[in-house]
Amino acid sequence: MNFIKRGFLGITRKKGKTLILLAVIFILGNLISGAVSIQQATGNVEANIKERLGAAATLELDYEAVEDLSEAEWLEIENIGVDLIKQIGELSYVKYFDYSTSIYLGSESIESYQGDMEGEIFHSGPSMDYKLNGINYAPVIDFEEEKGKLIDGRVFTQEEVDNGTSVAIISKKLAEKNDLHVGDTFTLDNAVYDYDEETGEEELITSRDVVLEVIGLFEPQSVKEQQEDNADSGMLDWMDIEYQNTVYVPNEIVASENRYHWEEYSKMDEEFAKMMEEDENAFEYFMPMFFLNSPEDSEAFEEEVAPLLPEFYNVVNAMDQYDSIAGPMESMSKLSKYVLLVAVIATVLITGLVVLLFLRDRKHELGIYLSLGERRSRVVGQILIEVMVVAVIGITLSLFSGNLLAGQVSDMMMKANDNQDEYYEEYIYFGDTQIDLTTEDVLDSYEVSLNLSYILGFYGIGLLTILISTVIPLIYIVRLNPKKILM
Amino acid sequence: MILEAKDLNYYYQDGEERRYILKDTSVSFEKGKFYTILGQSGSGKTTLLSLLSALDSPNSGTVLFNEEDIKKIGYEKYRRNNVGIIFQSYNLIPTFTAVENVLVPMSITENEIPEDAKTVAYNLLDYIGIVKSKADRFVNKLSGGEQQRVAVARALATNVELILADEPTGNLDEEMEQEIIDIFKKLAHEHGKCVIVVTHSNEIALQSDQAFHLRKGVLSSYE
Ligand SMILES: Nc1ncnc2c1ncn2[C@@H]1O[C@H](COP(=O)(O)OP(=O)(O)O)[C@@H](O)[C@H]1O
Ligand SMILES: [Mg+2]
Repeated sequence: MNFIKRGFLGITRKKGKTLILLAVIFILGNLISGAVSIQQATGNVEANIKERLGAAATLELDYEAVEDLSEAEWLEIENIGVDLIKQIGELSYVKYFDYSTSIYLGSESIESYQGDMEGEIFHSGPSMDYKLNGINYAPVIDFEEEKGKLIDGRVFTQEEVDNGTSVAIISKKLAEKNDLHVGDTFTLDNAVYDYDEETGEEELITSRDVVLEVIGLFEPQSVKEQQEDNADSGMLDWMDIEYQNTVYVPNEIVASENRYHWEEYSKMDEEFAKMMEEDENAFEYFMPMFFLNSPEDSEAFEEEVAPLLPEFYNVVNAMDQYDSIAGPMESMSKLSKYVLLVAVIATVLITGLVVLLFLRDRKHELGIYLSLGERRSRVVGQILIEVMVVAVIGITLSLFSGNLLAGQVSDMMMKANDNQDEYYEEYIYFGDTQIDLTTEDVLDSYEVSLNLSYILGFYGIGLLTILISTVIPLIYIVRLNPKKILM
Repeated sequence: MILEAKDLNYYYQDGEERRYILKDTSVSFEKGKFYTILGQSGSGKTTLLSLLSALDSPNSGTVLFNEEDIKKIGYEKYRRNNVGIIFQSYNLIPTFTAVENVLVPMSITENEIPEDAKTVAYNLLDYIGIVKSKADRFVNKLSGGEQQRVAVARALATNVELILADEPTGNLDEEMEQEIIDIFKKLAHEHGKCVIVVTHSNEIALQSDQAFHLRKGVLSSYE
């Protein structure tokens, strides 16, 4: 007849009280369970979307801070040098990194890919259809991150990258259009024009050939994939065409073409030439990209990198973009937070009072235990057993019904959201890549489910709440005076 | 001496004045004897018993059990290992059967309890006059006399040598009263226990080996 056995007898011998307590815990448990379900579901969306956003980070000028600067101050802003990029790339959070620079070139000898827009585009002035995308990471990060996929030939070697060898990886579509194969060469023109302000005409000053050998062919992976039934795909077509006409080359090729271009241009424009002289690093502008081991590292990475950066620069994580599309999810998450808070407080108060009422009825019994020399901690233990066993049953029951309830409520709220005509699609831009996610994607990945983290989370919160609610009654027990009760 | 009270004072504050319920009370008790403490209602009998049973503490003075201060033993520990208390209003747990009530202190005490505690409890109840069929009843289905027998069995269950009872027959008719008193005599004389019974009944006092009289906070021998 020790306190554990007495606790269980307390449950079975007083069925009426047990049922009342069970009903109270079950009803309040449903509220908590519903709120936890919705919390978990919104949390999953966040994790899911962030997973899709990837663990990329880049360094960008803080455009807001820079906005008010004078022109002279503008010129003072430092570039981010290759050394710094490499230093950051060595940090333990970084899986791999790259820095790139690009230039747009035209061509007389090959034709660019125009997709469905063939013939719709009217050129005014010289066309610069090809984007030479310099890279330093030889296996090409865009392929590792599945923006594109190498389908023929090979990627660069580190040697080619270091030496700036004239080799290129182009898209399969571009190759097909011009009957190019791995091993063939093609020619782009680095043409320098002068813009005549009076006539509005551009006049060719000089030009040089850029001859590149095709070593590999790629195919875009994500951009057009899921967009078949989308009528308004002009934007995506444009994105696709730009990528199809992208030519991957070693950074050094781009840098050298850039240098040639601006040097030739400087000969025409003295003012510009002066500006260039003052800033010898002007051609050394690289866009860095860091891919971290895990999205969770983003914050730590940002914290470590921020002090290394020159003034006016920020770390920008792909994660940060999540907030811009999370609209409806946020309001749901907030609502469930309030419901949870209110439910927990109500549970603590109501369960606490119910247990206290039951204990007052039993103070005689508790006084007897104390008069027999029972330790107060064990009397407390007995009551905890009586309450917690009922709580576990009540909470387990509400685990399922509350989850079901949350599913229904969420469905209703989602439908309400869908019916609002302001259904909008937002695209996320990150660095110079576009991430293909819409608000609809966010809603789609919302799902109320009975998973392990929900079950653990709910048991944790539920049982802790009941435990806290027994504190009031326990104070009552500790203060009991057996002499006053019994004599 | 199994139990000894030394210079016990117990008072409460009434405005500026201290009202003494017990004043410099000293008394001692031996094993194998049946004692009574006689006094009118309100004379402080329950107060004295609560001090002897460590359900309350005096303002000054000490209670010694086997020469050791019960404060040093620890009040809770003293209650669970050294003393059996019987109340006027039985104080049994109504949701438990008679035998379950007897088992409660057996699971609380640190004294050695035989492994088949339940058999011991049934035997104890049988010895006190509660047969097995009644031992399995919930205690609120028993008569007052039977309930007080269960309470006596509960006090004996932990094998203590000291039994304290506060007007144990106060709610019983005369016939029942005598049966309970006979049990107390037997416990003292045949089992060597020290039994101390608080009462306002002269008849009971006359049957005891030694009687004390409590009046105006002062304890004296009663002839
Ligand atoms: N804390 C207290 N405040 C006021 N009066 C008290 C207090 N404790 C006990 N008393 C009084 O002390 C007297 C003795 O009580 P008690 O020991 O119960 O007497 P008995 O058991 O002999 O009837 C009673 O008159 C009671 O009212
Ligand atoms: Mg009394």
